[in-house]
This record gives sequence, C-alpha cells and structure tokens, in this order.
Amino acid sequence: MVQYNFKKMTVVPNGKDFIDIILSRTQRQTPTVVHKGYAISRLRQFYMRKVKYTQQNFHEKLSTIVDEFPRLDDIHPFYGDLLHVLYNKDHYKLALGQINTARNLIGKISKDYVKLLKYGDSLYRCKCLKVAALGRMCTVIKRIGPSLAYLEQIRQHMARLPSIDPNTRTVLICGYPNVGKSSFINKITRADVDVQPYAFTTKSLFVGHTDYKYLRYQVIDTPGILDRPFEDRNIIEMCSITALAHLRAAVLFFLDISGSCGYSIAQQAALFHSIKSLFMNKPLIIVCNKTDLQPLDGISEEDKKLVAEMKSEAMKTVIGQGGEATNDDGVLLTMSTLTEEGVIAVKNAACERLLNQRVELKMKSKKINDCLNRFHVAMPKPRDNKERPPCIPQAVIEAKIKQAAEKEKRQTERDLENENGGAGVYSASLKKHYILANDEWKEDVMPEILDGHNVSDFVDPDILHRLEELEREEGLRQEEDGDDFEMDGLELTPEEKKTLAAIRKKKSLLIQEHRIKKSTAESRPIVPRKFDKDREFTTKRMGRQLSKLGIDPSRAIERARSRSVSRGRKRERSVDRGDNDGGDAMDVDTPNKKQRMLSRSHSRSRSRPPTEVAPGEGFKDSNQKAKALQKARKSNKNRNKDARRGEADRVIPTLKPKHLFSGKRSIGKTQRR
Amino acid sequence: MPQGDYIDLHRKRYGYRPDHFERKRKKEARLVHKRSEIAQKALGIKGKMFAKKRYAEKALMKKTLMMHEESSTRRKVDDDVHEGSIPAYLLDRDTTTRAKILNNTIKQKRKEKAGKWEVPLPKVRPVAEDEMFKILRSGKRKTKQWKRMVTKATFVGPGFTRKPPKYERFIRPSGLRFTKSHVTHPELKATFNLEIIGVKKNPNGQMYTSLGVLTKGTIIEVNVSELGLVTPAGKVVWGKYAQVTNNPENDGCVNAVLLV
Repeated sequence: MVQYNFKKMTVVPNGKDFIDIILSRTQRQTPTVVHKGYAISRLRQFYMRKVKYTQQNFHEKLSTIVDEFPRLDDIHPFYGDLLHVLYNKDHYKLALGQINTARNLIGKISKDYVKLLKYGDSLYRCKCLKVAALGRMCTVIKRIGPSLAYLEQIRQHMARLPSIDPNTRTVLICGYPNVGKSSFINKITRADVDVQPYAFTTKSLFVGHTDYKYLRYQVIDTPGILDRPFEDRNIIEMCSITALAHLRAAVLFFLDISGSCGYSIAQQAALFHSIKSLFMNKPLIIVCNKTDLQPLDGISEEDKKLVAEMKSEAMKTVIGQGGEATNDDGVLLTMSTLTEEGVIAVKNAACERLLNQRVELKMKSKKINDCLNRFHVAMPKPRDNKERPPCIPQAVIEAKIKQAAEKEKRQTERDLENENGGAGVYSASLKKHYILANDEWKEDVMPEILDGHNVSDFVDPDILHRLEELEREEGLRQEEDGDDFEMDGLELTPEEKKTLAAIRKKKSLLIQEHRIKKSTAESRPIVPRKFDKDREFTTKRMGRQLSKLGIDPSRAIERARSRSVSRGRKRERSVDRGDNDGGDAMDVDTPNKKQRMLSRSHSRSRSRPPTEVAPGEGFKDSNQKAKALQKARKSNKNRNKDARRGEADRVIPTLKPKHLFSGKRSIGKTQRR
Repeated sequence: MPQGDYIDLHRKRYGYRPDHFERKRKKEARLVHKRSEIAQKALGIKGKMFAKKRYAEKALMKKTLMMHEESSTRRKVDDDVHEGSIPAYLLDRDTTTRAKILNNTIKQKRKEKAGKWEVPLPKVRPVAEDEMFKILRSGKRKTKQWKRMVTKATFVGPGFTRKPPKYERFIRPSGLRFTKSHVTHPELKATFNLEIIGVKKNPNGQMYTSLGVLTKGTIIEVNVSELGLVTPAGKVVWGKYAQVTNNPENDGCVNAVLLV
C-alpha cells in the first residue's frame, strides 16, 4: 500500500542554480588538465567525456524530478482529484511534460556533438565544440526555468498536505462554515485546528486520529461548504466536495441550530438536500451542534419539519445498508462542543456505524472465506445428553495443590519487603545469612583502614593456620640460633671487649667510606661494572683481611665460595657436597646450586606466594594473576645499555642463500642478501 | 504531523521569539560583510564567477541609481530636428529632386549583372588547402596520397550519391554534413531554422564552391517559404541568399545572416 506521503520529494532547483550545480560538478569530477601536444585521440576523448558527463547528470536530475512527482492517473482518485482541484491537472502535466522534453533534447544535443567531436583535429576545435554543446544544454534548461519554479512551489505545497489514507476507517465532517466542525475535531483528536469566529477559517483538509474499540479512525475536517451551484464553487469548497465524493467514510453533517454561524436552518437544510447525492452508501449522521445556545426542542415548527426531513433522508441510508429501521437515535444527535456534552456519544455512534458497515461489506466479499476460520469456532452438535467433562489424572491434581501450598508457605524477600512498606521504605538486610563463628558478629561494621594500612590487604581466611605455622618455624629457629644472638655486653672479657670495639670501629670506618664513595646517578657509570674486571676481590684477599682482624677466615671463604653461582670447579663442588653441617646456607633438600641461589635471592615480604590471589585484588584466579604479572614484567623492558645485540638489530638468517650463489646472471651483481 | 499552514498558525498563536527581529536585522547587516569576505577570499573559477556576478549587480545598481537621479540631475537638452527642416541661410533655395525611385528588384538585377554584391562580411580570412583537406593514404603499402577528406562543414544536396569509393578523390564525411542553418533576419532581428538549398559561392575558391564546403563568408541559398515573403508582383518568395557568419566546424551549427 502506497503511503501518500509527499514530503519525501527532492527539492526542484530553479533554472540558474540547476545549471550552476551541473556545470560545477562537471568541472570537479572530470579531468581538467589538457595540453596542445597530446595525441589527438586523447584530446577528443577528454572533451567527449565532458560532454557526456554533463548530459548524464542532466538526465539523472531531470529523471528524478519526473519520477518523483506523482502521476495523477496512477494514484488513488481521491488524491488525483484533490491535486487537480489544487493545482490544475493541465498545468501540472504540461510542466512535467516540458521537463521530459528538455531531457530528450539534451540527450540529442549530446549525441550530435559527440559525433562532431570525432572529427576534431585540433585542441581549439574540440574545445569550441565542447563549449557549444554545454552552452546549448544550458540554454535548454534556462528555457524551462519557469516550469521548474512552478514545480517547486507545487512540491512545497504538497509536502504540507495531510497524509490521509483513503482505504482505512474514516469519519468525515461537513457542513456550513462556522458550525463547529473544527471545534469538534479538536475535542476528539489531538489535531490542533485553528478555530476563529470568521467564516472559512479552515481553508484545507485537516486530519486527526481517534480510537474506538481498539481501532484507529481518521477524522477529516473539511472547510465549510456554501449552498451554490457546482460550477461556482471555489477551490476551498471543492476540496471538501472531493473528499466527500471519493472517500468511503462515515459522514457527520453538522447543523447549527442556534443560527450563530450566520446562516439559518433553512439554508443549511437546502445545502443538505443539494449534496445529499454525495451521501449515498455512506453511514450518515446528522449532528445538531451548539445546543448550549439553543436546545433542539426550542426551535420553531418549520425548522423542526426541516430537521425531520433531513432525518428521514438519513434513515434511508440506514435502511439501504440493511440495518434496523427502528434505530432512531443513531441518526440524529445533539451535542455542544463548548460544554462537551454529547461529543463522545456522537463519536461513538459514528464509529460504530462505520465499523458495522465495513464488517458487513467484508463479510460479503470473497476474501472472507480465507479467514473465516479465525472468527468462527465450530461446535459439534451433541449427540446425546451424557456429560463428558475433561479427564485429568488424580496425580496431576494433587501435584498442583501441593505446588500452590508450597508457594504460600515460604515467605520470600519480596513479601517481606511488601509487608514492611514497599521498595522505597524497606531495605533488605543482606547480612542476615552470613555464616560466622559467632552469630553476634553478623551486624558488626568491618573497618576498611586501620593504622594507615588497608585492611583488605591483610585479610586472609587461613590467617590463623598460617600464624601457627609461622610460630612453629620461629620456635625451631630460636632453638637453633640461640647461641649466636646473645650479645650481652656485661658478659664479655676485656679482650673480647677490645676486639668488639675494634670491629665496631672498622665497621664505622667502612660505613663512612661507603658514604663518601656512594654511587648516585651522577657518580655511577651508566654501564655497570658488573664483574670484577681486575679481579681484586678474591677470597684470598678477604681471608687476609679477616685474619688481620683475628678471625678464622676458613668458614667465611667456604661460604662465599658456596654462594658463587658461576664456579663449577670439581674441588669446590665435592667439598661443598660433603659439608653438611653449617647454617641455613646449606639446604640439603635443594641439590641444585642455581636453584638455591635463585630461591634465596627473591625474599618474600608477604606471607603468601606471588601467584595467589588476595581478595580485593580483582583477579579471577591465580592463572589470571600469573598472566597479569608476566605482562607487567614484559612491559618494562630495561634498556640494553651494555651495547649487546637486541631483537631490533639486523639479522641475516642465512649467510649463503642458494639463490644468490647458483645460476648464471646475464647482467648485474648479487651483492645484496 | 504538521498540516496546512502550520508555520503561520504557530506565528499567530505564539508570536515571534523575543529577539527575533533584532536577530534578523543583525543577520542582514552581517550579510554585507560576509559577501565581501567571500569576494576577497574566493579563488579560481569560483572567484571569477562570483566576481562576474557581482560586477553585473554593480552595473545594474548604478543604472537604477542613475534612473532615480534622472529627475534631479541636469543634462544637456537635445532637441530633435524635424524632417525636412533646413537652416535659415538655405531657406530661399529651390530643392531639386533626383531621378525617379528605382525598383528594388531592378537594382538587384543590375548589381547581379555587374557581379558586385553587398554582403555583411566583405572580407574573410583565407583558408589554406592543408587546413581544408586532410590527406588520406591508400593503397596496399599506404603510399598513394591522392585522396582528400574535407575537414570543414559541407552541404550536399538531397539527391547526392557518392562516387564509387575507389575513384572518389574528395571525401565529405556524413558527420560533417549540414542541411539546416540558423538564419537571422537583419531587420526583424529574429532567427529561423531554415533549410539550405545550395551553396552559391565560397570566397576561398571555385573548387570549394563545387564541393559545397561551408566556411565563414560563404553565400548559401536558403528556403524562406516559412517567412511568407511576397514579391510586389504577388509571387511567393521561397529562396533567398544568406551569408555564413560563423565557423560551422567549431560550433556544430551553421549561422547565417539573410541578405535582403
């Protein structure tokens, strides 16, 4: 179904702008540089392309115009007639015809000049031909300038036409000017039609939508019609006549019984009788408006007779549809839009009658048979008086009862919430179901920061267990190293005191020296002296220094040698292996020296292994944490300041590739790999 | 959806914005500066086109201003001289009449006999042979060069048939053949699209006349039955001479002016 929406038509440019647009597009989109010295075929092609491109663009734009404007014969006759009334079919067709001829003319011009361009033998000649071709095309467009302006105006007006669907349920309102049609439509729909005391306030059709019984109805407000012969009618009245003539709608004929519109009831009745031929096959309702000023019973006898006549005419339409002849009330209704009494009744009556008529029509049509099964449920005829209720097994019934009971028993959190005042008032206590050692701790508030530390860093579910282990370890250690750590100054002999003093002095000297020589960023060389190049610091030297102090160096030397990872000499290895007593340095369980070294060098400041996830860190599991740590490590790659080869340096994978060393070469060298 | 004159309706109900008129006035005042900015900054073809438009507007504006000031400016009064009025010192002389007025047709016949013609373009640029003809090579080894192709616009009559291709020396391509020309009547100042009947004379030479080549300055005969001219004797004129005023091969059409 075509949606009669004329808002989507492209703007029609006026003559001058049209030419400017197309020519500037040609200038931008085709090559612009050409020189006299090019081959003649290239010159010809250059100019032929310009001519053809311009013609194509004109053709495209003119075709869109001609296609987008609706053809008055192809659209619904309501719209065809409406557009004829508003814009005059002949002018409209002429304008579009001119556009069409212009399009053909431009095609012909392009063809002729392209043919002539084939004989162009110089740049100047080809250029002149191209200028002539484009000039002629533009002259054609200049000539249709007035048509383009006219079509643009029509397009602007068409875009503001109401989008009326001619096939759906429609209620049409008609009558003399000023009787209250626009007020009525304002009351029942959301259309905001202007209401003013002067006649012909509404100058065109307006559409509003209203609902009745879950269906949408279009309500169309028309400009007032005067009682005149058909030929004398102006454009505004013709709009409403067109709507009456072509739309299958329920018609509400408005009657102003108070006469405040400026026309008597006699005149309005005369109008009714003159247009009653348009009411054929349409459910007609006569509405007496403005009853607040003048009730229906208060009018004079002649007027009452006229009204009765109109009512009888309206009844004829009811009978014509096969409806009940006794239904008086649905034909003549009274209302007042000012006080709003009777407005809804009128709307309901109109919608009801229209719906009935449409349903009847649909029932009679052939298409109903396809969907008849959806409306009608066939009930089989009972063959005897025996009752046959549905058969449900006993177990199912019992299960259902049990389920219902269960649902009632448990009190959900939602029920609790509703009891205590609803969503905004009651907030559920989330700590109700905590599992703790002591139930009294449930409502306690847990601190987040304690003594400047983040509590969650130190929280550990196994903390007590670990504490026990640690204490055990400590206990063991204290037993072993009990002797070494007793440095009570009172129990020393004078020689020991002297040696202690000497050691302390030497220590402080060393510290001072170190402070002087301390390597800061300025004093330290960039390339670290990792290794002892001059081999000064040997164990022999250490041994000499220690013996100077008076200490037996042999154990220290052994220890130093055992810690050195690089040494792999047999002697030291066997000595080390044989020496089992000795402190914490000798851990028999880890035989590999390197492993020992590595495991010792990374001290653990925390009480948990590095890949274990602490609550609050944000990792899913230890795998994720390990990956994250790896990424962090890799992201900080230290600069290679030792001037060693890195991954960015050039690598020649094969020093003697076969393809460079085999085969004869006719010319050239094979130096590069 | 908005229907009918919704813009006007809104204006009627709610009026304009409080600052609407001021904004409008300011915007229009700013337009002047914007235009001058564009005029100064636009480059290339856009700049040229804009400058042309602006110049046309300026000229128009100057003219209207002159018209408005016409009543207030002073200018020299130029009285028309009546026909037949003579200065005071010649008043007493007798005028002598010349010989009888000759008929237009007789004049033309005399001129024709003399071979002198009054044409709008008395002198035209001569067209050289190498410009007029293109040499076509033919033969098995493409060494023979006796064929020529005409590169200018030509006219061949309606009953024209080519000579057998082996023997034709001058080739007149059908793409360059014209049958109609745009003829301007010098007095009526109107242009008509008239059929060419034949080529009368080509100023570049007799050979070109016989070939029917149309160059600038060629005299052609056109079918003027459309114009409805009648001789004094009552006969209908249906052929007249016209002179070609453009280069048809450059413009793709033959423009001529009628020789009255």
